[in-house]
Amino acid sequence: MKRVLVVGSGVAGVAAALAARARGAQVTLVGTRPGATVLAPGALDDAPWESCAGSLPERLPLPAPALGVLDALGAYAVKGSGVLLATTAGLVRPARGADRALLDLASLPPGPVLVPRFDHPGYDARWLARAWSDSGIAKARSLGFVAEPAQLTRYVDEHSLPDADLAARHDDPARLAWLAGRLVEALRVTPRPLAIVLPAWLGVDLSRAQDLSEQVGVPCGEALTGTGGPSGLRFERARDRALAKAGVEVVAGHVVRAEHGGRSAEAVEWLVSLESGELVVSDAVVLATGGLLGGGLEYTPAGSVLSAALPPGPRSIARATIDAPLALFAFRKPLETPSSLQGSPAESHTWPFAEDPLLDRVGVRADEDGRAFGAPPGLHVAGELVADLPRTWLAALTSGAHAGVAAAED
Amino acid sequence: MSAGENGAPHVRGSAPPPSLRIATPPMRVDDLATDATFDVAVVGGGVNGTGVARDLALRGLEVALFERHDLAFGASGNSSGMIHGGPRYLVNNPNVTRTSCLDSGIVQHIAPHLLFRIPFLVPLKSGPLGKVMLELYDAFFRAYDDFQPLKRGKPHTRLDVSDVARLEPGIVGSIAGAVTFDEWGVDGARLAVLNTVDARERGASVYLHTAVESIAKAPREEGGPPAYVLAARDVLTQRAIRVRARIVVNATGAWSPITAALGCLPSSRIRIRPAKGIHVVFDRRLSNYAVLTEAIDGRQIFLEPWQNMSVIGTTDDDYYGDLDDVTATSEEVRYLVQGIARIFPQIREARAIGTYAAVRPTMYAYGPYEDSLSREHAVVDHAPDGAPGVYSMIGGKLASYRLFAQEMSDRIAEVLAPDTVCTTHEKPLPGGDRVPDALPLAAQHELLPVLARRLVYRHGSRVSRILARMTKRPTERAIVCVCEPVCEAEVRHAIGEEMARTVDDVARRTRLGLGACGGMRCAARCGQIVAEELGLPPREGMAQARSFLTRQAKTRVVAMGTAQARQEALALAQMRAMLGTKGDT
Repeated sequence: MKRVLVVGSGVAGVAAALAARARGAQVTLVGTRPGATVLAPGALDDAPWESCAGSLPERLPLPAPALGVLDALGAYAVKGSGVLLATTAGLVRPARGADRALLDLASLPPGPVLVPRFDHPGYDARWLARAWSDSGIAKARSLGFVAEPAQLTRYVDEHSLPDADLAARHDDPARLAWLAGRLVEALRVTPRPLAIVLPAWLGVDLSRAQDLSEQVGVPCGEALTGTGGPSGLRFERARDRALAKAGVEVVAGHVVRAEHGGRSAEAVEWLVSLESGELVVSDAVVLATGGLLGGGLEYTPAGSVLSAALPPGPRSIARATIDAPLALFAFRKPLETPSSLQGSPAESHTWPFAEDPLLDRVGVRADEDGRAFGAPPGLHVAGELVADLPRTWLAALTSGAHAGVAAAED
Repeated sequence: MSAGENGAPHVRGSAPPPSLRIATPPMRVDDLATDATFDVAVVGGGVNGTGVARDLALRGLEVALFERHDLAFGASGNSSGMIHGGPRYLVNNPNVTRTSCLDSGIVQHIAPHLLFRIPFLVPLKSGPLGKVMLELYDAFFRAYDDFQPLKRGKPHTRLDVSDVARLEPGIVGSIAGAVTFDEWGVDGARLAVLNTVDARERGASVYLHTAVESIAKAPREEGGPPAYVLAARDVLTQRAIRVRARIVVNATGAWSPITAALGCLPSSRIRIRPAKGIHVVFDRRLSNYAVLTEAIDGRQIFLEPWQNMSVIGTTDDDYYGDLDDVTATSEEVRYLVQGIARIFPQIREARAIGTYAAVRPTMYAYGPYEDSLSREHAVVDHAPDGAPGVYSMIGGKLASYRLFAQEMSDRIAEVLAPDTVCTTHEKPLPGGDRVPDALPLAAQHELLPVLARRLVYRHGSRVSRILARMTKRPTERAIVCVCEPVCEAEVRHAIGEEMARTVDDVARRTRLGLGACGGMRCAARCGQIVAEELGLPPREGMAQARSFLTRQAKTRVVAMGTAQARQEALALAQMRAMLGTKGDT
């Protein structure tokens, strides 16, 4: 049985692990530190959405391995025609798919959507209803948002709790039933809406949106929220369940080195060293350690190096944080060392100065099965570690699934 | 170049016509139609312009104040944030030191809540001259001590090596000792805001985000004095207004020559040598003292604890760029960090959360290094240019703004209100009358102590108005900006009472979004509140939040290191998910 070691527990790593396991490999997943996926708010994109007015361009359906992974996770809905999400910043935006707790507006016919209004710091339902109604997408679909009173917090401390904590409280069936009761009560005085959009409170273990909708009799779901929302937690729970069910061994720890070698002449193997000193031997390795945000890459401006008087030597602006035979690329070219003792100026390679920032593109170049260019066989990369890949959830999932299949079958 | 209604060029940067005479526009019926008539029109919402507006309003004159961006948009809101006593003038011009210290004392008197003590420490390198330098500095600051009582400063102290190690353990390297001296910090943006609020409450009309497009001579009434018509446009609503004023004051700092050109005045008469200065902001107070040291080229630079952060500064470089878009570059940041790190190496590991930059309106001279240019100020009377009653205020510095405003106002009062005297040194600025104690206030109103402290710092006795809002509507107790912190009531107060019209304006008045998170947790909510308060469409609030976040990111990334790069990636991902990075949908 082929041994595959996956490094990284974000969406790319999990996709690789599940896909490789589905192809019969013996899979170990190392590294359980939170990264970009855990911070993602639950919209599944494969490209920037801001330039698409209203609806996303048609895309080919996701490849089979990626669909398999989504199925195993069970927490997400992806639709070919896309979904529409209301964000707590006041926009209605398209996405390719979403966390199942989020309300998809795309399936609704024209009509009113209820936004429960209650005293909660930073959550101004009246304003949100106005802002969502005012958005081009809502107008085009004749969706109107109406804010109506419904007291949804139960205890005094809930005024100061972040959304994720409130979401955890709604894992309790009794609490969810209480919420349903309040909504049913609100519906008695409000003309029947098509759906109810709620703060991001619908569960941490699982999405409770389905349950709630059944109890209320109207589709209910969350608005998309940024920092402090529960979507990342739901990913972690879904991931842990899926990995356990598939029989993937999960090892806590932090990988510092991946070395190509072998204990015998005929067996070519990968030796992966953990920070603890432990060594894991495997036939193939998938590095899905994330980009800048996930921690797989590090931005290294020369000026940040602690040094007394001498200017630090020139160095390239980014490096991989795992010692492995990897070369970094961006825009299909090797990452060069700038001709400056102080490193290249941040203005030339970061958002918002650059339209297409180099820091968004940098990574390891790989073929579509994640085989790293120039590296010995058996080394695959996935997710944001891949150069020039869009930094999106679905792109990470797809690249992870491909890398997992290739690692198991090569 | 397009021509304004009056035939006067109104495009920024346009060259003045060859004639030195102010253009008299052809008579047209609508030339006579003005929206309002004032005694004085002040152009420029920095400390000088708002100081003049307040001074004249206190004397009972009818004043209009115009500002193209927001109050304290330029040098006033982006300085080192100190009302210092000017020790550097002590040797050659002790009278400047005296007046600076005196005025520092006066500002403490009229706005006691807004000033905070910044003790400075000057470490002196050991070496053959180390002991001698220590003696010299000791003697120098002994002389400066004579002026300290004027500004309630404490006398200097002389520290030996072990004192320095104990009091400022972050300092490294071999030193002979140090001297300390006392200065005062201030929030320059608040200072301009308070002057404006006071002027407005005393009858002045204030037009913010309103660009003056032309200044032309009004048709002269029979036997009457000369007067001017200012055509201006609200840049947010595009609404045009025209006002008539007897006297016009150009207090536009680095923009002064450009403003003069709008009135067809020769910019050569008010030449300035614009010099850019940048500061880098760190997320917390890193030192007990402000530490003075030298950059690689021998220039004096400093690390100062300022409000709840640390600031390093500053550069001083001739500036040839766009005055409306002055930003720090990563090169300038490295220059400062390198200089500070030699004596305070932790700075390299500290978290820079942003930069700010502005252009000093230094008086013109060809030849000297930027640092040696005079920080003096002067009033230019444009009567010799054919425009009697038009004045330009040039040069100056934050510490002497009130005095400069008084000098300007005295000149105007000679003509328009000869029986009046300046009272800006006696009458407290808004909130400066009875400054409450923050901690009992926090207990009484169940506020976070830090929130109460920050509220009292910014609003003095006027904190009562914000507390009244919270009592009336408890939801306004919600914290909008966690880093500073800023509560919803304060945001609404800034819009309602302090004339904030954008997220950016709210940030300038409350420091919302200028903390460690860079506005990621508060800009969108603040945009919602601004839109709601001003009756703007929701998308306008979102657009404001987006542009605030983008601009903040620009000031941050030039100072980012490895750890911040990760945070930047998160900020960008969050913004993409919630608001998008461009356009609207």
